Amino acid sequence: MDRVLNNFIVSLRGAGVPVSVSESIDAAQALAISGYGDRQIVKSSLAATLAKSAAEKEIFDACFERFFSFQSLPSPFGAGPENGSEEQPGDMPPIGGMIMEGDLGGVALAVRDAARSVDLQAIRFVTQRGMFTARILQALQLDQLDRFVADLYREGSTGASAAARQLEQGREALIDMVRRFVEEQYDIFARESTERIIERYLWDVRLTELEERHYDRMHFLIRKLVKRMNERYSRRRRRAKRGALDFKQTLRANMHHGGLLFETRWKKKRMNRPDVVILCDVSRSMSTVVRFCLLMLYGLNEVIARVRSFVFCSSLLEVSHIFETCPIAEAVERLRTGEGLDIHMGRTDYGSAFWDFTNRHLDAVTGKTTVIILGDARSNYGDPADELLKKIAERSRRLIWLNPETPPMWGTGDSEMKRYMRLCDLVMECSTLRHLEQLVRALVRIP
Amino acid sequence: MRDQTGKFETVDQVNEGFKSTGYICSTDIATTVYLAFHLEKPVLVEGPAGVGKTELAKKAALFMDVPLIRLQCYEGLDESKALYEWKYGKQLLYSQLLRDKLDQVIDKESDLGESIRTLHRYEDIFFSPQFLEPRPLLKALQEERGAVLLIDEVDKADEEFEAFLLEILSDFQVSIPEIGTVRARTRPYVFLTSNSTRELSEALKRRCLHLFIPFPAPDLERQIVRHHVPDIPDLLERQLVMFIHEVRKLELKKVPSISETIDWARALILLHAEGLDRDLTRKTLNTFLKFEEDIRAVDEKLFLLVDKALKETA
Repeated sequence: MDRVLNNFIVSLRGAGVPVSVSESIDAAQALAISGYGDRQIVKSSLAATLAKSAAEKEIFDACFERFFSFQSLPSPFGAGPENGSEEQPGDMPPIGGMIMEGDLGGVALAVRDAARSVDLQAIRFVTQRGMFTARILQALQLDQLDRFVADLYREGSTGASAAARQLEQGREALIDMVRRFVEEQYDIFARESTERIIERYLWDVRLTELEERHYDRMHFLIRKLVKRMNERYSRRRRRAKRGALDFKQTLRANMHHGGLLFETRWKKKRMNRPDVVILCDVSRSMSTVVRFCLLMLYGLNEVIARVRSFVFCSSLLEVSHIFETCPIAEAVERLRTGEGLDIHMGRTDYGSAFWDFTNRHLDAVTGKTTVIILGDARSNYGDPADELLKKIAERSRRLIWLNPETPPMWGTGDSEMKRYMRLCDLVMECSTLRHLEQLVRALVRIP
Repeated sequence: MRDQTGKFETVDQVNEGFKSTGYICSTDIATTVYLAFHLEKPVLVEGPAGVGKTELAKKAALFMDVPLIRLQCYEGLDESKALYEWKYGKQLLYSQLLRDKLDQVIDKESDLGESIRTLHRYEDIFFSPQFLEPRPLLKALQEERGAVLLIDEVDKADEEFEAFLLEILSDFQVSIPEIGTVRARTRPYVFLTSNSTRELSEALKRRCLHLFIPFPAPDLERQIVRHHVPDIPDLLERQLVMFIHEVRKLELKKVPSISETIDWARALILLHAEGLDRDLTRKTLNTFLKFEEDIRAVDEKLFLLVDKALKETA
């Protein structure tokens, strides 16, 4: 049972439940106490010792059902030798004998042994399935079986060719069985780890290069990120251990000591919960970055007090109302298609966008507002209008510029980034999910 | 804690034992409690509000016939509230009362150094067990026959407190600088509950058995209702549980808990209901829904929900 338990724990780890050594010892002890008699009790015992959160319980349930399931298959092999045992040339590998006798249990066992000998548990990637299938077949001496069948055919007697046909059918069934077995084991040991590799890749992929088939996964990742950030920053800050002395609280806390000051109370650290105004460049090169950035910002309702969003290309337009009326995912989709938006999608013109903003919406910016501009600052050699940006910067609490290009590209060609940079409080590259995460940290920090 | 009473021989026995105290448990719950007893490990209980996490600890105390000691966690909870505190007031009062006595002790000596030395001989007087105020954790360690220690809503406490708990939960001993190490006379049986308002630390989870209590399956919930409201007509009980299960599938601010199911069953009995119908349900919605919006949301779909409950139990 220890071996089985070990394998089960390996499969759990593969599926994303971090099982520590002490927990696996607990599991073994728990099984020793509660016994193996009742499947439900075994499952409960393992669940109590191995899976330690609601999410892990779910994974555990799936793994348990997959791992401890027994399938009974109808025998795909012929029902035993057809006409007595004839004299057979060459030496038949043991697997051939099992096929001739229709010993399904024996074959299954042999496959399992072979799988263990080639260390099938180590399978991690979907691309390894073929290799492992081949190795297992080799361990089962399939090549020898093939030679044996060829010899039988060459001999030519009716009995021999009947046996050869039977073996050949059995061989197909065997390959099929091994393939299925590898598939099953891949499901148990590796499926989730492949998922994790994709996830890791998505964290660092440039959003502009993201393929559309990964959008769903990306939305999921952003939701996860948003949840984590909301959790992290929604907790009221616990009482600080140092900082400025809160004299009033200290006095009150020490009343029962007769006014002698034993315990100190410190002033709490304040967290920033900013109002955000975001200006997004929605020219084609920017659309994916804008999509994911807005998706995140609108999710962060614990971190950010209020968001007002504007999009611009040749002209500027407020789009906050779309986010107020539709679900976030739908709203970003509408921005992408431009459906019902009265915006002029010509050449990007930062100058006129700033002009529109300062003339029509400047009252959106107050001393409490953090203004975020998301754009590549490529203004097609138009008037950069940096004096207007300066006006916005002075009115706001903070001006953050997010540029999806890598820093070496800033200021090259028609990029006005170098000019705008001087006016911003913070300039960040923003092209991957990781950058978005850093943005949240920057937002809550009080400058 | 050794199994002197023979109450923990099999999982079924635990199950039956809890039933006799009025707590109907699933196999998961019974197995975990059984294991926790034998492995001497704390149990971390998680699950939505109102599934009986706290009740489990109370009934465990009843079942084992030991006192229940409860520590309610909240933000800012610290050692002095959880473990022990000196009775400052008493110390001050005594030192005032004993002032004359002190004068006598010291007065004879004129030398300052001499009087300090004399005082040193008495210093431990004010830091002796008589001046110690045990808080829940220390109390649980001191119980002669063991106890059930319930650390409620541990996710509300700060992370530092969690780290501090680790020490107690692994060794069941604490050191009080002025007195020395206090070791558990009998290991208490520990339940921690959490509503998952935040992730608990890995280290804490590793040391505990983990029990997740979801809302019970219909069959189990029917057993629970029948246990608490024995004179409920069979039909009504089935329909009512089915209805509650349908309501839980809706997106509500607060889904009805088990205790609210029971409340509703009692209310319906008082109204002499034999089976569920739309009118009666509408009038009694407020026994298990506690938000105006929720009542409105359920009211809108009442026809469908009641219909479904009636059909599935027909």
